[in-house]
Amino acid sequence: MNRLVTNLRVVRALGLRSIRQTFRRPQLMAPIIVFPTMLLAIQTGGAAGAVDLPGFPPVQSFLQFMLAGAMMQSLMLAGNSGGIALAVDIEMGFTDRLFAAPISRYTIVLGRLAGTGALGLLSALWFFAIGLVFGAEIEGGVPGALLAIFLVTMTAMAVGGIGAAIALRTGTASVVQGLFPLVLVVLFLSSAFFPVELMIEPARTIAEYNPFSFISEGVREPIIAGVDATDTAEALLAIAGIVGLGLLLSARALRHRLRVG
Amino acid sequence: MDAALAIPAWRANLATIAALMARAKNELLRVPGAAIPGVLAPTIFFLGLNGVFGALTQLRGFETGSYESYLVPVSMLQGAGFTGAAAGVNLARDIEQGWLDRLLVSPAPRWVLLAGTVLAASARALIPATFVFAMALPLGAAWPGIDGLLVAYLMVAAIAAVAACWGSMLALRFKSQSAAPLMQVGMMGLILLTTAYAPLALLQPWLADVAEINPATEVLEAARQGFVGGVTWAGTWPGLLALTGLLALFGALALREMRRTGV
Amino acid sequence: MSAPAAIAAEGLERAFDDVLAVQGVDLEVAEGEIYGFLGPNGAGKTTMVRMLTTLLLPTGGRATVAGYDIVREARQVRASIGVALQEAALDPLMTGRELIRLQATLQGLPGGEGRQRADDLLERVDLAAAADRRVGTYSGGMQRRLDLAAALVHEPRLLFLDEPTTGLDPVSRKTIWEEVRALNENGTTVFLTTQYLEEADQLADNVGIIDSGRIVAEGTPTALKTELGNPHIRLQLEEGSIAAAEEICARIGPLLPPVDAKTVLVEVEHGAADIPRVVRALDEAGIEVGSLELVRPSLDDVFVAKTGYHLEQDEDESDSEAVAT
Repeated sequence: MNRLVTNLRVVRALGLRSIRQTFRRPQLMAPIIVFPTMLLAIQTGGAAGAVDLPGFPPVQSFLQFMLAGAMMQSLMLAGNSGGIALAVDIEMGFTDRLFAAPISRYTIVLGRLAGTGALGLLSALWFFAIGLVFGAEIEGGVPGALLAIFLVTMTAMAVGGIGAAIALRTGTASVVQGLFPLVLVVLFLSSAFFPVELMIEPARTIAEYNPFSFISEGVREPIIAGVDATDTAEALLAIAGIVGLGLLLSARALRHRLRVG
Repeated sequence: MDAALAIPAWRANLATIAALMARAKNELLRVPGAAIPGVLAPTIFFLGLNGVFGALTQLRGFETGSYESYLVPVSMLQGAGFTGAAAGVNLARDIEQGWLDRLLVSPAPRWVLLAGTVLAASARALIPATFVFAMALPLGAAWPGIDGLLVAYLMVAAIAAVAACWGSMLALRFKSQSAAPLMQVGMMGLILLTTAYAPLALLQPWLADVAEINPATEVLEAARQGFVGGVTWAGTWPGLLALTGLLALFGALALREMRRTGV
Repeated sequence: MSAPAAIAAEGLERAFDDVLAVQGVDLEVAEGEIYGFLGPNGAGKTTMVRMLTTLLLPTGGRATVAGYDIVREARQVRASIGVALQEAALDPLMTGRELIRLQATLQGLPGGEGRQRADDLLERVDLAAAADRRVGTYSGGMQRRLDLAAALVHEPRLLFLDEPTTGLDPVSRKTIWEEVRALNENGTTVFLTTQYLEEADQLADNVGIIDSGRIVAEGTPTALKTELGNPHIRLQLEEGSIAAAEEICARIGPLLPPVDAKTVLVEVEHGAADIPRVVRALDEAGIEVGSLELVRPSLDDVFVAKTGYHLEQDEDESDSEAVAT
């Protein structure tokens, strides 16, 4: 019990550090919020005619459809950003200080995820605000919005686990940073930005099986139609899968890190 | 001995630029997997965007029925943007680890130190551009002709230089690799606030206005012309002019930051 | 007319927001000198080095290095100096040979000459065998030696070494010291910052002690120690012979207040050279000496006198030589 309490304290302390680090560096924050906002604007500005394509789901506007994609993008960037921050800690030697302390190794990762989760929550709130300001309606009302926010926050932490694993494995911030474009690619090969039915092969097939498609649908449905139990359950399962993958990769990466020093 | 007079200044400067470019290639050759994101990302970006928005060519107003042809120059330029931004990240790392001090304390002029970084990025950007192009062809992108390809490569190399100047400026300003996402964001904005997704006539009014004044639109259209039609001087010179302006602006900003670092 | 100073600073100052890291420092380093800049972490040593090597703009005062103003003639300064900074500033992906060749290029040396110099220097700092290995595989001592070699590639007349032996083992430290002495014997002026008293004592012709951004003492190590007073001899004697011993010793030098009933302390102007006189005089008087120690002021004593605290925790004892009789 004592050990659990100690670990929780460590997670809290490292989590607060992670959150403070993030919010004290505007250059870290801006891309997580600014870039997805920019892409949201560009895509709604450039591809708005898509709502006229046969087979496009009934939506109030392309913006309403795209809000979920923007949130997904933001949380993915938050996860990547958390990985970069951890890699910088490794490069600077800060993690050595943590490894040399009598704490559970997993608290190092979990503390980092707390900051990522906070960013996920912030991004969800931000895009709901953007959507409302520019006229998008949330069909699922307050419960729908809360569900979407919950899913976004959980996914941010799940993705953060993958980012942390990569940071631990490579120990190099530039490599983690280099994965930033890949993060977007994973999203493009999902239904984050377009209905799966209207995508072109092979992207369509990939998107049908991409866990981020299930999560995107889970976040989008409350916005464009209302809360749907099936979509929600599928999203939660997908998040659980990513969490599991992140834990596995993190465990292996931690062992590797301790082996190579 | 006054080492700065050992050989003519121009030769010393060229030798320094060449040495810094040679060092930059170490990142590609000696860090396992370092090259992969830079090459793979724009390629997969191309595949992803094509897969997502490919149906847009069904809308009236597209000058081509092949979204692959329309999109491939965007991905080539995006690869250039990523590569240039990565050069900025590497510079930030050099600053954090004290390596830049070694360069700053030498008699090499500041512009020479910057040129080494920028030219290395320009050369490196040709790699992902070639990869994207090679992937796009079998997927249905039109063959642009030798002239179209050369113009596209020129635009790629120059945009990479612009991106490297932008990344270097941020690296010198913030002195931290944490500024990396900001480097990427800036370049993505430059390249995507254009006719990247659709022709001008199909853009929402606000985006059409922005694309019209964004110099990167001319660069993109110049790179695109071989893939959707043919290369003409009228289609090329606006891109060259835009590049000159962008290089002058971002080069000056980066040099200013470099000069402000140290004495 | 005396030769111009290798380094001359007048009222040099550097502020970071509200913090004055260096406060109005005046110093002068003569050509061919090893100048030791001694102080604890945070005293301002590295800030001084960074200003003098044109890596940091001063916020007040002025300075010249190799005769050039550090602000207006920064490029000439950089062409005249070699620098090995506190952080070794090495690229782990490069080999040792590549790094020195790059440094040669940065200094404007022709390609062939740069390659030859690189080979010579690697041999000199005993890194020839590791020259084609990546720097990331080098030990701390090897990295420092490589950094020093890189600083020497263009044979500068003035060398800045910022804490060159911090974190090194005693053997590596000794190697660096030997190299610094050899360079100085060839005429190179060395500006060396250190937090190690022994390093300053062993190497420096002149020492400047910096604390909280100010120079609190400056001079040769001997002069600084002498300023605190001459050394003294501590004699342990039989209780009955104290008075007689005091009378004899008073003829050799002033007596200092005794620390106990069995000790006589006599100040000696010539240090160890006065020991035979004291021993002979006491022997002729038939006084048996239990033990004899020559106690000298150390640089730590100087540091304590000037700052109020010890620089190194483990060196809080004065330098002493016990001579058992």
